[in-house]
Amino acid sequence: MPSWQDFEPFIVSGLALGGVYALSGVGMVVLYQATGVVYLAFGAVGAMGALIAWSLINAHAPGWVGWLVCVAFAALVTLAYGMVFGPALAKRDPLVKAVATLGLTLVLFGLMDLLWTTSGGQSRAITLPTDNGGFMIGQIQVTWTQVISLALGIVITVVTVVFLRLTKLGTAMRAMANDREITATLGVPVRRVEAAAWLGCGILAGLAGVLLADLVALDATTLTFLVISSLAAALIARLRSITITFAAAIVIGLVHDLLTPIQSLSNYRDATPFVLAAIALLALSSGGGQVLTRSREEA
Amino acid sequence: MSMREHIRSVRAAVGLVAVIGMLAAAGCSSSSTTSSAPKSTSGGTPSASAVSTSQCGTKPGVAATGTPIPLGAIATNQPGTSFTDIPNMAAAYFACVNANGGINGHPIKLYIVTEQTNPAQIAADAKQLVQTDHVVGIVGNTSILECTIDHTYWEKLGYFVVDSGIAPECYSTSNSAAVNMGPRYSSDGAVQYALAQHVSKIVFDQSNVPGTGYIAAGPAALANNAHVPITQLTENVPISDANSVAIKEVDDAGPNGAVVLNFTPPEALIILQAAQKLGLEDRVKLWGCSTPCNTDFLATSLGPKWNHKLFVNAELTPPDTTSTQSMKLYEAILKQYGSAVSGGIGSFSQMGFAEAEIMTHALESVTGAYTVASVNAAIKAVQGFNTGMVCQGWTYGSYPMHIPNNMDYTVTPDNGKMVTAQGCTLISAVDPQIKAYRSVAGTAAMAP
Amino acid sequence: MAASGGSAAADTEVPATRARQRPTLPRPGTGTLVRAAVIAALLLFVLFALPQLMSLYYVDAMTQVAVWSMAALGLGVLVGRVGLVSLGQVAVLAIGAWVAARLLFATAQPYPLVLLEAGLITMLLGTLIGLPALRLRGLYLALITLMLAGALTVVLATTNFPNGGPGFLGYNGSQVHIPPIRRPSIAASDPAYFRYAVVVAVLMFLLVFAHIRTRPGRAWAAVRQSEPAALAAGINTWFYKLWAFALASFITGVAGGVLAGANHYLYSLNFPTYYSITLLAVVLMGGAYSLWGAVIAGLLWALLPSLLQNWGVSADWLTILFGVGVLQVLTTAPRGLADQVPKDLARLGRAARGLARKRAPSESSAG
Repeated sequence: MPSWQDFEPFIVSGLALGGVYALSGVGMVVLYQATGVVYLAFGAVGAMGALIAWSLINAHAPGWVGWLVCVAFAALVTLAYGMVFGPALAKRDPLVKAVATLGLTLVLFGLMDLLWTTSGGQSRAITLPTDNGGFMIGQIQVTWTQVISLALGIVITVVTVVFLRLTKLGTAMRAMANDREITATLGVPVRRVEAAAWLGCGILAGLAGVLLADLVALDATTLTFLVISSLAAALIARLRSITITFAAAIVIGLVHDLLTPIQSLSNYRDATPFVLAAIALLALSSGGGQVLTRSREEA
Repeated sequence: MSMREHIRSVRAAVGLVAVIGMLAAAGCSSSSTTSSAPKSTSGGTPSASAVSTSQCGTKPGVAATGTPIPLGAIATNQPGTSFTDIPNMAAAYFACVNANGGINGHPIKLYIVTEQTNPAQIAADAKQLVQTDHVVGIVGNTSILECTIDHTYWEKLGYFVVDSGIAPECYSTSNSAAVNMGPRYSSDGAVQYALAQHVSKIVFDQSNVPGTGYIAAGPAALANNAHVPITQLTENVPISDANSVAIKEVDDAGPNGAVVLNFTPPEALIILQAAQKLGLEDRVKLWGCSTPCNTDFLATSLGPKWNHKLFVNAELTPPDTTSTQSMKLYEAILKQYGSAVSGGIGSFSQMGFAEAEIMTHALESVTGAYTVASVNAAIKAVQGFNTGMVCQGWTYGSYPMHIPNNMDYTVTPDNGKMVTAQGCTLISAVDPQIKAYRSVAGTAAMAP
Repeated sequence: MAASGGSAAADTEVPATRARQRPTLPRPGTGTLVRAAVIAALLLFVLFALPQLMSLYYVDAMTQVAVWSMAALGLGVLVGRVGLVSLGQVAVLAIGAWVAARLLFATAQPYPLVLLEAGLITMLLGTLIGLPALRLRGLYLALITLMLAGALTVVLATTNFPNGGPGFLGYNGSQVHIPPIRRPSIAASDPAYFRYAVVVAVLMFLLVFAHIRTRPGRAWAAVRQSEPAALAAGINTWFYKLWAFALASFITGVAGGVLAGANHYLYSLNFPTYYSITLLAVVLMGGAYSLWGAVIAGLLWALLPSLLQNWGVSADWLTILFGVGVLQVLTTAPRGLADQVPKDLARLGRAARGLARKRAPSESSAG
């Protein structure tokens, strides 16, 4: 069994990894709270935005232009999807809405590989100026990018919780998540609220795209399906609580990295998000997890 | 018949028609796969380099117009892994040959088929090349799985494949000979260099793709022979958490150890960059990497912190520091005919060049008709051929296994370029496969 | 194969007027006989004529179609018949393939027995997972299957598939010559194995057909219509949902066994997690409810890529097509192509007839 010394550096890297998962997890729960849609295309829009940013930066555009375009692209695509397919599927149950976002994921995934073909020996990378420089914790250097990603996760969690609870728009979103029809009859501008929710989620996806492209890899497959691991954190929170999603993401990141020095389990550590989510859902659910929007529950 | 039954029978009929339609499309569909015939980019005018591309053929400037000689190549091309540069470069070479006399006036037509690491698809591709495209030779195969899947098929039909090997069977069977060394022997070379620097421990980390045990056996044999402890690690690719990988490797190797990587360039880059961001690059004595790391792109991306810190095994002659006729011809052909080669100058296109060279040399020795039998007999007879791209003369021969390239360079990044750290060195025969090959091939295996 | 089935409760298209029509005595139905004859003829054509007409390249592709039609059939039972979405069926396929490969290397059992065992063991595992998983509803059930599939993919990446090695896992990573997974002695060649695969697929389709026509099928239809109503009617919904899980797992396990023999070599990288997502896409496009839909799904999955490759079109267009297909199906045609195309044609037919009637006003209207 490795010593405390061996585990120490992995705590730092685990927190950074948790921050990575938290960004996408929180983003998805936010949208689910407002529209009942599990936005599984979260990773794909961010990935495509990051690739567009890369192309711009490669064509000698300044870095901030690239990142801005990435966020704008993700926001636009998400908003467009929400406005076109949101109403069309509004009356269907959350499962159908989630599967529909898988359709968007596949479209984007195919497009990315078509437009940014894999070249033999080359790979693409996004670097942020915050990559150079950081500080030491123990033996390990922590870059500012990692700090920003973790901080952004915390900030988004806090801001969203406050927003949903205290502002009029946020309360409208929570009402809509509960029952869209009744909320509409109460005079809430449902479509505008929905648009705001989709736009917000899209912006988050773009931000996550840039950060993840830097922290993980600028690779379409990796970034698109990283969302499955982030989903684990959201599932542990039953897609309900943003704070728990954030906490779960951190725990997943920590456990994943802390397993690294343990020889017998090290190779299986990539299964951490899935195993933890399965345990949380299967073993801990006594009443059988009920779908949040009870008015739309089907078998 | 009621309306409902009517609809059902219409449904069934339509379903039937749709199915038959698809099958008919399959049955009648044309056989031609994507054959690469790259157009000359500069319209025939000689390039600025000292070597004219007309040197690739026997009749400069005379276009070949006879019946084509069909050849085939299978290459992996899926998101994240693409080896199409290699057969595309071979096709570029053949285009040059065709523009300069062809093979006795016959142009070469290379059918390139790509696959997505699906065993059924790979087997089907081989059958397509043989039965529909009627290829008489196979050159330029570069695939994670192809040698394993198809080697019995090639052996049954008598095709002697010239390839760039990855899977174990590319080196351990009678009908495949590679221009490169492949992951195992290239890792041997990297580990060998590290051992020569007197490191006290080796950590060998590779991507978890088929064949890890086979690959690991080489470095293990070398380390055990030198009484240096070795830790074998694998990582699932694509890597999603490079930080933990880098920390793990460095911790295990220790300050006097070496970390040797065997990954594709993007994955190796991610690990090395993570190590740099974490401030770990100086925490081990040296870093090593098998041949995939040998690209200028990696050297540029890594930055000056890795100068003479990372030692990469190079299976092929470094293009930047060589100016032989062959290298100049390679660069000229790449420039004039290689528009489909996205990676430019680098080991992938070098391999394609070498394989096409060998095939052309073999074809030129064929007298009479170009059949499977005659072409493959000529391939087998290639002996001590100087490709200009590897340390040794290249020999096929009639052996139960082939590792014709078993001598390598070591290169290291130096301010954005890869420079030679060590010249041609034989891979150690402590690796039992190398030993076995040298005992069957005799002097042909050694002579540079 | 019937394009629909189950009780009248599931057939929501039945117009109310039908109940008031004169009841006719049910004949054996020329419709049924014609359909059966057509299917039999198609089967004979596929089994005997097709391998002669196609090159080996397409015979190999069609063998894959048979395998993936079975996988689509299993998923279709869950999604179309019962309304349960599983995002982990490719992982189940991998389990079936793993078990079959292990048995084929370790024993000299005849192939049908190995396929049966692969199906049964996969069914057992599927049932064990279904036991706790079925406590979850709809979206959560789908997501938990995705999680479990993800976990299995990671495990498989480390344990690998059997390749003739020793021990429980049967994997030897150091071999320089990997032995291929054997095929049945009567079906060693590609065309012969294609026929073998088709026969197995037909058996699986018949198995599902039998289920649909009997009590489980009616129970599933009731559950799909409304689970509370089914419960109120006294149907043990949990039991029948578990049965569906077991059946789907069995069929997919057998499909995995056939895949093992078709491919000769199995690799964990051939069963990535996101394939389960794409499989759901093709099942939805083909039509989850109809048995023909499973065949269409198989064709989309395994034949279309081969065709595109020959025409020089990148496989990425297929991914995009599947994505668009999912969106289209979910928003406009919930029952997929197998249902949509005939509907469109029937509508065309009615329009044509209406046009013909307008041109000949002397004929009395059909009303």
